[in-house]
Amino acid sequence: MKTKTPASTTGDRFGPCEDAVRTIAEIDVDGVLQETAATAFTGNRAAFLRRSLAAAGAGALFAAADADAVTATTKNDVAILRFDLALEYLQAGLYTEAERLGALTSKTLAWARVVGAHERAHVHAIKDLLGRKTVPSPGFNYGRVTSDEQAFIKTAVAFEDLTAALLKWQAPRLDSRSILAAVVTLHSVETRHAAWIRHIVGLKPATTAFDKPASQQKMAQLIASTHFVASKPKMSNRGQPRLTG
Amino acid sequence: MPKRRTALALGAGLALLVVATGLRSTVGDGRSGSSGGSALTALSTAAGRVPHPEHPAFVVGRPVRLRKHETRARFAPVTRAVTARSSPSPTAVPVADLATETPEGTTNIVLVLGEVTKPSGQQVHIRLPVLPNDRTAWVPRRALGGYGFVHTRLVVDRERFTATLFRDGRTVFRAAVGVGRAESPTPTGRFYIREELTGFGNPFYGPIAYGTSARSEVLTDWPGGGIVGVHGTNEPELIPGRISHGCIRLRNPDILRLSRLMPVGTPLTIR
Repeated sequence: MKTKTPASTTGDRFGPCEDAVRTIAEIDVDGVLQETAATAFTGNRAAFLRRSLAAAGAGALFAAADADAVTATTKNDVAILRFDLALEYLQAGLYTEAERLGALTSKTLAWARVVGAHERAHVHAIKDLLGRKTVPSPGFNYGRVTSDEQAFIKTAVAFEDLTAALLKWQAPRLDSRSILAAVVTLHSVETRHAAWIRHIVGLKPATTAFDKPASQQKMAQLIASTHFVASKPKMSNRGQPRLTG
Repeated sequence: MPKRRTALALGAGLALLVVATGLRSTVGDGRSGSSGGSALTALSTAAGRVPHPEHPAFVVGRPVRLRKHETRARFAPVTRAVTARSSPSPTAVPVADLATETPEGTTNIVLVLGEVTKPSGQQVHIRLPVLPNDRTAWVPRRALGGYGFVHTRLVVDRERFTATLFRDGRTVFRAAVGVGRAESPTPTGRFYIREELTGFGNPFYGPIAYGTSARSEVLTDWPGGGIVGVHGTNEPELIPGRISHGCIRLRNPDILRLSRLMPVGTPLTIR
């Protein structure tokens, strides 16, 4: 999978996160992630990217308008938390679906069961923190990833690695120390998830003495490349029924 | 060995120094405070002031596990028009063409029964919303959107005139129903709730109507193709009984109660 290195985001003193890109490229040697992206989404790519970025609240751009209403949080913190919530929705959905389908090996399924329970708890915690400023979950289409062992593991490694890197990027950008203290409690858990799934797949749990952060822009790009975010089906309609009666 | 002795002596000396410092600061200045007097505090102070600890904005609670005994069914939207086939092969006999929308303008969903992975890609076994009723077929995974899960199941008994909704195997709703007359019977078999229709302002169907994947085997030229529904009524006094053109009719308070419990995608058994 070839991933373009994006331009550094505003104020990113660490620069583009080469490690994250390299990690994805390494684990996606046969292009499974890319293949998923090519087949899972049928809509307009640009529209999708806009939708996924909007859903994720990428950057303060999408969340700045009325963020002040949230108690004890700044609009900057709200934007960051909304991004985290969107990511937690996506991860929780991935692991929940894998657990429900039950098509993975017992070792991977056991991992998905534990990590899924954690991610669902993270969703609850961040939603509670955001209160009225929470964002609803977008629709997801994981395609065959949740029932294909190799595709699932590669996707899980990519997301867990990048989530840990993302939280490192966000931490110094948070205004509230109490939110920082909370996010740190997530960060260590996400790094354990990453090390655990890396161990399962035979990758080294820790490859460097220091981890680099990865920006929200980088994570948004990963999410967009998978095409996991999809429109929700229209299950209800107003109009005259043509049922037999 | 001499090196080890030297190290031990140094260690003991340091320990004595620390104890002596502590004693001097607690006794020597005439105060017995526990914070300012200890050697550890002195060391801490020497290292600089440590900020007051911050309480986390949230404490992540217990992991949220899925229910152990949840029963679930899976559905998926048709995201691209596709030909459903009799077996999981692109060259198998065509069974039906599936559109992305229903005649009522909602997303066309199908109940998912399983999947297999073939060299040509993953194939999904689905229940079809076409005649003949109770038919299944295969479509490529890429023709479907994301999976949705429901934990409910609706069972309609044509002999007892009842509709029973189960959630995770437990009865959560039961009501009397009207079913098809002898000349337009409600079909039997396994189906699913395909769509919810509201705001139509037609008292004949009551306040809410559900389109199902079941089709009338008699009224095939009905507008929309003879889709069997589950809906309310403007003639509640006729329920229970064989009163309809094939649809399952409930009294309006019952269909409203059912709508709060039954999501679209719920499997439907008519027997």
